[in-house]
Amino acid sequence: MALPLVEVRDLWRVYELEGSSVDALRGVNLDVARGETVAIMGSSGSGKSTLMNVLGCLDLPTRGTYRLDGRDVAKLSADARAEIRNRQIGFVFQSFNLLPRTSALENVELPLVYAGASTAEQRERARAALRAVGLEGREHHLPSQLSGGEQQRVAIARALVNRPMLLLADEPTGNLDTRVSGEILEIFQRLTREQGLTFVVVTHEADVAACVGRVITVRDGQIVSDLSRAPVAARAALRA
Amino acid sequence: MTQILQMTVRVAMRALRRNKLRSALTMLGIVIGVAAVITMVSIGEGADAAVQRQIQALGRNVLMVVPGATTSAGVRSGWGGVSTLTVQDARAIAEECPSVAAVSWVKRQIVQVVYAEKNWSTQAQGTPPSYLSVREWPLAAGSFFSQRDEDQAERVAVLGQTVVDQLFGPGQDPIGAVIRVKDVPFRVVGILERMGQTAWGQDQDDVVIMPFSTAERRVLGAEFLGSVDMVFGRSTSGAAVEDASEQIATLLRQRHRIGAGEDDDFSVRNLNAMARASEEASRVMSILLLGVASISLLVGGIGIMNILLVSVTERTREIGIRMAVGAKARHILLQFLVEAAALSLAGGSVGAVLGVVAARAVSVLAGWPTLISVGAVVAGVLFSGAVGIFFGFYPARRAARLDPIEALRSE
Repeated sequence: MALPLVEVRDLWRVYELEGSSVDALRGVNLDVARGETVAIMGSSGSGKSTLMNVLGCLDLPTRGTYRLDGRDVAKLSADARAEIRNRQIGFVFQSFNLLPRTSALENVELPLVYAGASTAEQRERARAALRAVGLEGREHHLPSQLSGGEQQRVAIARALVNRPMLLLADEPTGNLDTRVSGEILEIFQRLTREQGLTFVVVTHEADVAACVGRVITVRDGQIVSDLSRAPVAARAALRA
Repeated sequence: MTQILQMTVRVAMRALRRNKLRSALTMLGIVIGVAAVITMVSIGEGADAAVQRQIQALGRNVLMVVPGATTSAGVRSGWGGVSTLTVQDARAIAEECPSVAAVSWVKRQIVQVVYAEKNWSTQAQGTPPSYLSVREWPLAAGSFFSQRDEDQAERVAVLGQTVVDQLFGPGQDPIGAVIRVKDVPFRVVGILERMGQTAWGQDQDDVVIMPFSTAERRVLGAEFLGSVDMVFGRSTSGAAVEDASEQIATLLRQRHRIGAGEDDDFSVRNLNAMARASEEASRVMSILLLGVASISLLVGGIGIMNILLVSVTERTREIGIRMAVGAKARHILLQFLVEAAALSLAGGSVGAVLGVVAARAVSVLAGWPTLISVGAVVAGVLFSGAVGIFFGFYPARRAARLDPIEALRSE
């Protein structure tokens, strides 16, 4: 059997808050194979976002191991984790997290700048990524001049511009209305399929979860269910 | 790496432009510091150069013996009293002091000189022909008087440039002209090169020089025959000035019968001591400048640190976003260091321009000599950049050490 892209073993994340400690994750075990599409569901405070941050190398586990592509992330230096965030992971946030007062094109170029790509290559790849999310002609708009859906598309373009293996999305449609959410989900589905990405999305919306092949439910920092099934097309899921 | 640097500089410029007033106020400390340093260095070096020129003018190995502090019946008199120095003293110095190469002496008085319808009050100096070589004072035109003129008390005069300017119009040749000094007619035989002021501000060119014997017998009166107002000596070398001073003092104490513990009735001065005093003064000045510069740049640096800490707080979320897409700690560090350096270098450059303008203004308006030193300007700007980087380091490191998750969560 091929090595899973994501391999989580007995993962704990404990927050120390003013003397008391909070267990956000309590012994999570999870494998995600290459090319799999996964939704992580759960109520707020269930620990799903904490899990997402650890998977995205933004946070470190307190105990247990997380292997990404066979490498134990906790044993890497901060610089090496930055490189993983830069090259192997694309992260899409609920609140878009675009740099304000910075054009769409420059936002998408940002990961390429830190990857050390040449100026010409940055420009070309960022334009291609914006084209792939349907934002051709909006390259020089500022985030404040774009709608919520458009901003999230810029964020998707930024997440994918450096051709990562793993695309993570934390409530990507949480701030968007139903119609726009459908468009965003379609983009995820299409690009995931086209680029053979492994896709993990955190959501509490059932129609988002319907678009992926596997749904994991988290409650009180533990995985309580893990179901695989055939995904439906984004358009159909939202109509339901 | 060049891509990152390019973007970093672009982002820094954008951030500074976005808060124009804030950036300008932050720079102000550095601007004032660098401007003050450059202005003061220019004034200091200008003054120093002026003193050096004056010392050069009189000659570094020239000694002056002036009568002073005579005590007669309990009354002490310095300059202006009856001179205790005589021609015999001067001759003795020439003969008996091995470190003295040449000696001359001067008897002087303020007199009225007249040429045609112009008149001018100036200093007449009676002196032997050796004067010119002792003072190393070149002639601009004509010749100096000779030993024969001295022996025969000829009525010939050599003029300083100031006197020429006052008595003769343009196109008039003073050589051969007959001027009247205290109503005694004198033929002008030579003109001295311009010498400039003494270190104590006296115009050395405002002088009419005539043979000593002529001065004594025909112009200045023979009341105290053989007394002189000043003796000039030239030491055998610059290094021998102190020896020469010592030898002259010893000799004159003997000749004037001054016992141990009694006050001298003369004093021996040389410019070596003055040069040392001036060097000491400029050294003190430099230390003071360094102090002023350090304080103003310290204050400016603290201002930069303060504003960068504010900037880091305001842009915490931006830092989080950058880290999330792959910025390493050193990229964030560089970002804020570049902003600090840009602020302080801009401040330093503006300060340098202001400093140069202020130095020019001082020399034009106040008439002080200034010397704008390129070294000081370059050092000022570079040092301001270093100050920015030094004081920017703490805020930059704070930004670089932020936790990506917490940075992303901040509003």
